[in-house]
Amino acid sequence: MNARNLILVVAAVSAAAFAGCAKKGPPLSDSEVKAVFEKTLPATVEDRIWERVPLHPAKLLLQDVVEPRLMQASTSFVQVQSVTDGQKIVFRLAWNDPTVDDVPGPGQFADACAVQLPAATTADIPAPQMGEQGRPVEITYWSANFQAVVNGRKDDIQAIYPRASVDHYPFEAASLKPGSAAQQEMAKRYAPARSLGNQMAGPRTVPVQDLLAEGPGTIRPAEKTLSSGSGKHSRDGWSVLLVRPLPSGVQLGGRTQVAFAVWEGSHQEVGSRKMRSAWIPLALGKAR
Amino acid sequence: MSRVYNWQIGREMSYWYPEQRPKRQFAAVFDTNKCIACQTCTLACKTTWTSGKGQEYMLWNNVETKPYGFYPLGWDVNLLEKLGAQQWDGQRYSGRTIFEAAQPGERVMGWRPEEIDYAHPNVGEDDCVNGVEKGAHFSGVHLSWFFYLARICNHCSYPACLSSCPRGAIYKRPEDGIVLIDQGRCRGYQECVKACPYKKTFFNTMTGTSEKCIACFPKIESGIQPQCFVNCIGKIRFAGWISKPEAAKKDNPIDFLVHVKKVALPLFPQFGLEPNVYYIPPINVPREFLLQMFGPNVDAAIETYRNAPRDKDLSGLLTLFGSTELMVAKWKRVEEQVMGYDESGREIIRVPLREPTVIRQAFDSARGVARTNIS
Repeated sequence: MNARNLILVVAAVSAAAFAGCAKKGPPLSDSEVKAVFEKTLPATVEDRIWERVPLHPAKLLLQDVVEPRLMQASTSFVQVQSVTDGQKIVFRLAWNDPTVDDVPGPGQFADACAVQLPAATTADIPAPQMGEQGRPVEITYWSANFQAVVNGRKDDIQAIYPRASVDHYPFEAASLKPGSAAQQEMAKRYAPARSLGNQMAGPRTVPVQDLLAEGPGTIRPAEKTLSSGSGKHSRDGWSVLLVRPLPSGVQLGGRTQVAFAVWEGSHQEVGSRKMRSAWIPLALGKAR
Repeated sequence: MSRVYNWQIGREMSYWYPEQRPKRQFAAVFDTNKCIACQTCTLACKTTWTSGKGQEYMLWNNVETKPYGFYPLGWDVNLLEKLGAQQWDGQRYSGRTIFEAAQPGERVMGWRPEEIDYAHPNVGEDDCVNGVEKGAHFSGVHLSWFFYLARICNHCSYPACLSSCPRGAIYKRPEDGIVLIDQGRCRGYQECVKACPYKKTFFNTMTGTSEKCIACFPKIESGIQPQCFVNCIGKIRFAGWISKPEAAKKDNPIDFLVHVKKVALPLFPQFGLEPNVYYIPPINVPREFLLQMFGPNVDAAIETYRNAPRDKDLSGLLTLFGSTELMVAKWKRVEEQVMGYDESGREIIRVPLREPTVIRQAFDSARGVARTNIS
């Protein structure tokens, strides 16, 4: 080996070593999700804190228990990290997804994810498939579609179909002052789901919904959505923060169970057609 | 899955829920022979119910030219192809319904239209089968044919939309059998859009929920026929209540047309939904096509319809179509007059079998002037 080649080999080995350093991710936690105590909760998916928070690769399974089922697996893992400040708990969910599906439409579905916790923390936990009658679970649901609206997409058909041309909406008649109470009231009448207060219909200030369920098909909105969150797509896929109050009956140093679900919009996943995990132990760190 | 009885296919079949019939069932008869595809029904519905944001593309009522018209594109042929051969043994359907043909993991055999499938609401309008060459003229048998098919939700006895909704957000009203999507409960999964073979549920992009024809239930509750019925200038539609075949009453107009005369037939009964809009089939269309679309009683229905001029009861009842905006619960013919009654038995309409003819003389001799059309 001449001197020139030797220099090249040394350079290559050094580069590999550096790359290894740079790629060194957070520590792994195989058996449980560890919610690390921090006085200040991370506000973004990019926060440096995540570099040292243990990561649990949660295995996702087909929802093939109740019809309509998902028959073909898509997302196989979701990488989960968690931080708590003793009041709230943050989950960072990241999964591979090359496509951004955040536009609603006929036959179009949004990328989404959810965190599920038993509503009551007892030794005997409800079924992981969205709880059981009389034994509810709490679900925080994030959707890429909600995120796009929170990020500024207008609540307008032209925001989805830029070339759409509409002759007239009755609630935009010249006799109605735009934005007036009368005009708003009339517009609501033409959006039945919105008039009934259905959360799906907006208006939307956070990209998440707090839900309760007592078994498959029973999802209902919680009295109020207390959670918040944010999601970001990159080359690697989605990274989503879900921030919610601590599960009831669980304090710092305590334990409960948690489950996750991911929907791949381009795979026509929606509702019960999803990839979901079993219950996974969730261990909250102690205050430092 | 439960076993339920579907009289339109003459046998029991599998359905997601047990048989539970409403106290009475909203139903309608459409006479395809009278439809001129003016789309007045479509606009009446559109302006009444779907003028909101996200509803722009929705047509709860539409009229399409068969065989080449569809809304959404290929709604019927896509499913017919998926379902495969559909065999009838006399009055009994021996093929599979869409509930029985459901693939593993599904509640119903369906297919999901894409956005683009809704982009041609009037595709195939007036396109007839075979070209009309120069010099072609009518010589007794129509070689070229098309017909207009007006469509609303069928408010089925076994709705596929209802059975497919994993949230139970779709319900059939016990008081009138009208099928509705609970706008407070729907989460926009679009399972109903996939399942409904008639593609009469629609996803609202702006509210994130699915919506459908509501049979103008506020009007029906007031004893008035829906918008698409009362605005039909061809007077092709008649709304009412249908009984089960064994309970059919001759003085119930829908029972008379569907069960007694058997002149009005369900649309694609082989799908298994027991749809409640009944069609008097078009008389000048090849029978094979009609057999596939309306089931095995097409020949008899057309013969009965052709005989209507000699059947005073049938022609009499047909004259009640479009004669009143009220719901006619009972009817009766006395000699040359036909009467319609409401629920309480009050007469609400009286129509002569034949309108009297009055000839106005061209010259008004009293005034010494020639009459014009406006005088």
